[in-house]
Amino acid sequence: MLAPFAWIISTSLRLSRDSFALPPAFFPTSFHIENYREVFRVFPFGMVLFNSLKIAVIVVLANTVISTMAGYAFARIDFKGKDVVFLILLSGMMIPAQAKLIPTYIVMSRMGLVGTHASLILPAIISPLNIFFVRQYMKTIPASYEDAAYIDGAGRFTIYATIFVPMSRSVIIMTSLLTFLASWNDFINPLIFISKYDRMTLPLGIKTLSGAMGTGSVSVVLAGVTMSLVVPLTLYLFGQKYILQSAVMSGLKA
Amino acid sequence: MKKAMKNTGSYGDRKRRRDNLAAYAFLAPALVSFILFIGIPVIVAGVLSFFDYNLINPPTFIGLKNIKKMLADRGLRQAFANTFKFLLILCPIHCGLGMVLAFLVYRAGRFQYFFRSAIYFPTIVTTASVAIAWGYLFSTDTGAINYFVRLLGGSNIPWLTNRVVVYVTIALFSFWKFIGTTFLYYYIGLQNIPTGYYEAAEIDGANVFQCFRHITLPLLSPTIFFVLITNVVNVFQIFDEPYLLTNGGPGSATKTIALEIYQTAFQDMNIGYGGTISFALFLIILVITVLQYVGQNKWVVYDYE
Repeated sequence: MLAPFAWIISTSLRLSRDSFALPPAFFPTSFHIENYREVFRVFPFGMVLFNSLKIAVIVVLANTVISTMAGYAFARIDFKGKDVVFLILLSGMMIPAQAKLIPTYIVMSRMGLVGTHASLILPAIISPLNIFFVRQYMKTIPASYEDAAYIDGAGRFTIYATIFVPMSRSVIIMTSLLTFLASWNDFINPLIFISKYDRMTLPLGIKTLSGAMGTGSVSVVLAGVTMSLVVPLTLYLFGQKYILQSAVMSGLKA
Repeated sequence: MKKAMKNTGSYGDRKRRRDNLAAYAFLAPALVSFILFIGIPVIVAGVLSFFDYNLINPPTFIGLKNIKKMLADRGLRQAFANTFKFLLILCPIHCGLGMVLAFLVYRAGRFQYFFRSAIYFPTIVTTASVAIAWGYLFSTDTGAINYFVRLLGGSNIPWLTNRVVVYVTIALFSFWKFIGTTFLYYYIGLQNIPTGYYEAAEIDGANVFQCFRHITLPLLSPTIFFVLITNVVNVFQIFDEPYLLTNGGPGSATKTIALEIYQTAFQDMNIGYGGTISFALFLIILVITVLQYVGQNKWVVYDYE
């Protein structure tokens, strides 16, 4: 499972003309850092990196605000139409991403947003699954916490912001990680929405880079690939516990 | 009595009204974005099936023409056939091998944590990046994989250029990249089975196979059901793997429904027709999901306490 990663990193450090030299390397045999510099020279890679980061961070922030607010309402307030609204929202999870692609494109083109980062950000800020996760978690928080705050005269929003959001830390970290990775790894949306090099995100940028390089400089492409893996790897190392937890929770849903 | 109730009622009414207001204020951002980016797109998709539309000219109503065209579209039929081939190959791999792996790792004892992390890691990395890297590995003349094939005395395998072999290639990549997803669900499912059952069975003299057949399998059935549904839905939409590894080729050997939708809508700029196909895809997935739910009563065991 890990051998391909060893090969990717090792080859990204080889001289370009040696990238296909045999035997294939699974441990670095040379250290040609210039491949990494080359990626930035032949492609606006820094910009692409920044775009991916910017989009993922905005999506996570907006998605978290929306999911926690909605999750709080479903978990802690009794209101008219609660069950119906919840069911409609959940049915959104059943709609396959591929089926939404073209209609979303039409909505975006009507809004004049095709080609902009907004076309990648806006559809990603709503996630019925995240709302569901937050609701499940907030339901388990004991009522005594909010009762005390009510007696002190706190309003709903204060209670949401100062009690429920901090207490739901672990589920928020979990949904944030999942949302970040989904945005970071998304390929098909940038593919249809973005065409300018300096507006691309990493996956599309690397695909474009590999297309432009042909089979000439595999090492340079792999240097780009290696850099695109750093962020998921880091998140995995620090957040594995939360990612596992998400699998537990979505299994419960069934 | 009546009066008193009316009084508390009016207080209750006010509280209820305030609660309703608060709830919808909290829900407003979610509802607005849901309507804009999920609700409207789904309605648009359905309506669009009856229009000819290319984004530039206003849509023109053409009735059932798109649907008739779809039924007669040979390229689309090929894409459907290819997608079914992927279903037949990939679902047994992910739903079956994922379970076997989970079972092995679960019983591995000391190295569980390492195995689990290693198997799961590829699922979270960028598909596009690693697919491109695997493309180099699979290269017929210069790829590392064929180097080992030759080392073992074989001759070069046309991983990406033969119409049949290419399915093996994509299956290998899919296994490596995504087996962690189903593996993890099974692994968690296994952890939830009380060990007491196994202990009791051992006392009764049951062997490993009998334990698996009569304890693990039935108690894991809700997980199997969940994995099956999500996997079928995912494979039906398979796009990244064929697009990045083969671009649907050689010829149109690995062109899937999702690739066909992409090409129709964004390369041939026939948005209306592409929308019709994607709405059909949505309906098919819906029907399969419903059928699986209806069928689950026959074999899924939920209540074993």
